[in-house]
Amino acid sequence: MTSGGHISALLRVAGREIRRLISHPIYLFCMVGAPALSLVFFLTLMEEGLPSALPVAVVDMDNSAASRSLVRRLDAFAQTDVVMQTPSFTEARLEVQKGNIYGIYYIPKGFSVKAVTGQQPVLSFYTNQSSIVPGSLLFRDMKITSILAGASVGLQKGLAQGETESRLMAQIQPVVIDTHATGNPWLNYSVYLNNAILPGILQLMILLVTVFSVSTEIKYATAHEWLRTGNNSLTVCLLGKLLPHTALFTAVAFAFALVLYGYCSFPLNSGWAPMLAALFLLVTASQAMGVFMVGTLPVPRLGLSLAGLFGMISFSIIGLSYPVSSMHPSLQALSNLFPIRHYFLIYVDQALNGRDLFYSWIPYTCLAGFLLLPLLTGRYLKRALASLHYIP
Amino acid sequence: MKRKESRLGHIVKEGILDIFYIWKEELREVFKDQGVMIFFFLVPLVYPVLYAFIYDNEVVRDARLVAVDLCDSHTSREFIRRVDATPDVQVIAVCSTMEEARQMMDRKEAYGILYFPADFSRTIHLGGQGHVSLYTDMSSMLYYKAFLLSATEVSLEMGKEQIGVDPVPAEYVAMYNTQNGFAGFLVPPILMLIIQQTLILGICMLGGTSREKNRFHSLLPDTEHYKGTLRVIFGKSLVYVLLYTLVCLWTLAIVPRLFSLPQTGDPWTVFLFLLPYLFACIFLAITLSGFMTTRESPMMIFVFTSILFLFISGISWPKESIPVFWKTLGYFVPSTPGIQGFVRINTTGATLNEVANEYHLLWIHAGFYFITACLVYRYQLIRSRKLLRT
Repeated sequence: MTSGGHISALLRVAGREIRRLISHPIYLFCMVGAPALSLVFFLTLMEEGLPSALPVAVVDMDNSAASRSLVRRLDAFAQTDVVMQTPSFTEARLEVQKGNIYGIYYIPKGFSVKAVTGQQPVLSFYTNQSSIVPGSLLFRDMKITSILAGASVGLQKGLAQGETESRLMAQIQPVVIDTHATGNPWLNYSVYLNNAILPGILQLMILLVTVFSVSTEIKYATAHEWLRTGNNSLTVCLLGKLLPHTALFTAVAFAFALVLYGYCSFPLNSGWAPMLAALFLLVTASQAMGVFMVGTLPVPRLGLSLAGLFGMISFSIIGLSYPVSSMHPSLQALSNLFPIRHYFLIYVDQALNGRDLFYSWIPYTCLAGFLLLPLLTGRYLKRALASLHYIP
Repeated sequence: MKRKESRLGHIVKEGILDIFYIWKEELREVFKDQGVMIFFFLVPLVYPVLYAFIYDNEVVRDARLVAVDLCDSHTSREFIRRVDATPDVQVIAVCSTMEEARQMMDRKEAYGILYFPADFSRTIHLGGQGHVSLYTDMSSMLYYKAFLLSATEVSLEMGKEQIGVDPVPAEYVAMYNTQNGFAGFLVPPILMLIIQQTLILGICMLGGTSREKNRFHSLLPDTEHYKGTLRVIFGKSLVYVLLYTLVCLWTLAIVPRLFSLPQTGDPWTVFLFLLPYLFACIFLAITLSGFMTTRESPMMIFVFTSILFLFISGISWPKESIPVFWKTLGYFVPSTPGIQGFVRINTTGATLNEVANEYHLLWIHAGFYFITACLVYRYQLIRSRKLLRT
């Protein structure tokens, strides 16, 4: 067979696949609908960037001018909203259990008197850590409030003794920490999460669609006709079938990038090229992974289950919310099998930190390496296509 | 009058027999179908363990930090030593230039830089405030948190020593998830979500399969036993309820114990809460299964929704910050009140009184989706009857 023959066969397979994509709405739903829905969902969900006005309760046993000013100061934080004052701690705790508040700030009886007389009254603050994000944000505000409470007492005493305010602040807090959250100074959760979750959803859909499109050929006994169209060459068949997918998924991936880095102005310190290249590699690597999966498990129910389970685990093993370096060593090794993990490493280096391309060569190479996966199961897949009969 | 009564008695008796017939058939279908077995047993068996294992270390320990000490004084060295001594942070090197430290971050040898300017200790000794700059890699919020908390803690501690007395000490208590762990926070919601999602996937797959197999692609086989809507719904749900009682026992009682996840809820309360949750999920799944025409479509359609449902439940992104539109939509999914209520019962030890809103909503879900499930099957019964006649 000449190479010209192969190319025309490839075009025939591609044409056949495009007709299939159009005639079955499930494809368009998975390739465009689900990613678009997720994009809109996550970007609107976290539009605020950082949760604000998280409800807390104050238990003010002192009820003095000093304690009230403390409460006002706590309430002034953007992330904290003092929604109630309860007469006792028990009631506040019940409100936590009802889900109405995430934290409790407790001011003991005799706070103001003890503070100025040097009897060290203890302020207590509590956050509900079954919800980590609000818990951590409130912890910060309540901690600062407590430090400032000490400061204000010290200030009053010191000012009375004739010290200047800046000298006093230096005594109370001699060391100040200035934080620089590189790449995401606003601590924006939308930037933080969506840069990984959205490509993760894309990877999931690519895996499912790839496995589905190949295994349905077996299920509906069209595999022979498919192979014939592709001159009985598995390479031609797979390329012809998957290239239209590659084009569509890449378009969707680039649209994601356009929305995230263009419309939403998320940090893109590397310029466009490295991220677009990474997205294209993510699309093709996921497709290759999909072919590998359908090669090992050519029955739709098994192949799709594997794709789905693998795709869902990705969101945890990516190391976004919980860093991979803190996981069990076996999981650290396992994380390398997930295309999205390498994509995430590229994103951190390139878009987030704007590092030199040199530092990302390993994840780029790994992503490209996934393209070799189909070679491992090629022969097995061809045998399955030629001889496997679908048993419902 | 008497004849009417005996006819009613006959219908009830026949109905109950049919329910058990359908129950038996459905049970057989479940165990015959590898795909369904994966979702009903393999996923609920393996996934909880896998997630618990991934987040098992709970917190970040010894996050790698590099210090740049231009001051090189007793105070700055003491500061670095104390940061290194905290459990969450490890100072891997002290560099003399920022450039050097940046390169270490580029090579991922460190995830943060602690920078002391040359006049750091001089400023303090002259009675001013010394500034330390902390640069963190934002690839994980946990690094940021570890560095910031440890550095702040050290600065306060050293401050206290300078003035000798702490006018107002403060104590912090992390409630419920006392280790501040990731597993304790994320795994319980995931467990609840797995129950809903596997029920949807499994039941929809069963629905899709019968549509593929049966004559005229109808949802129900055309035997006598399947002639009443209620008996079909009851017969089928009985299977799922029984199977998922076992699944719940494993995912919600045994797995948390194996991985010592928070489990302070009263078992009886948990059981009472799970009851409407299971019913709601099952009837929702039966409703959805009416729309599946092939066995594969549920996997293509519902797998990705797990991520959306997890976020809409308000457990990781606080419910107060969810836009009204999504919040409203979330109220239609059993997992939203299910996760909220379960976490509060299981992790914070709430009773049914404190989760009354969620509990009521789940019973409303159960009732509402029961009606929709009946409508779907009613429609399918009428459809196949019509097709049979023609």
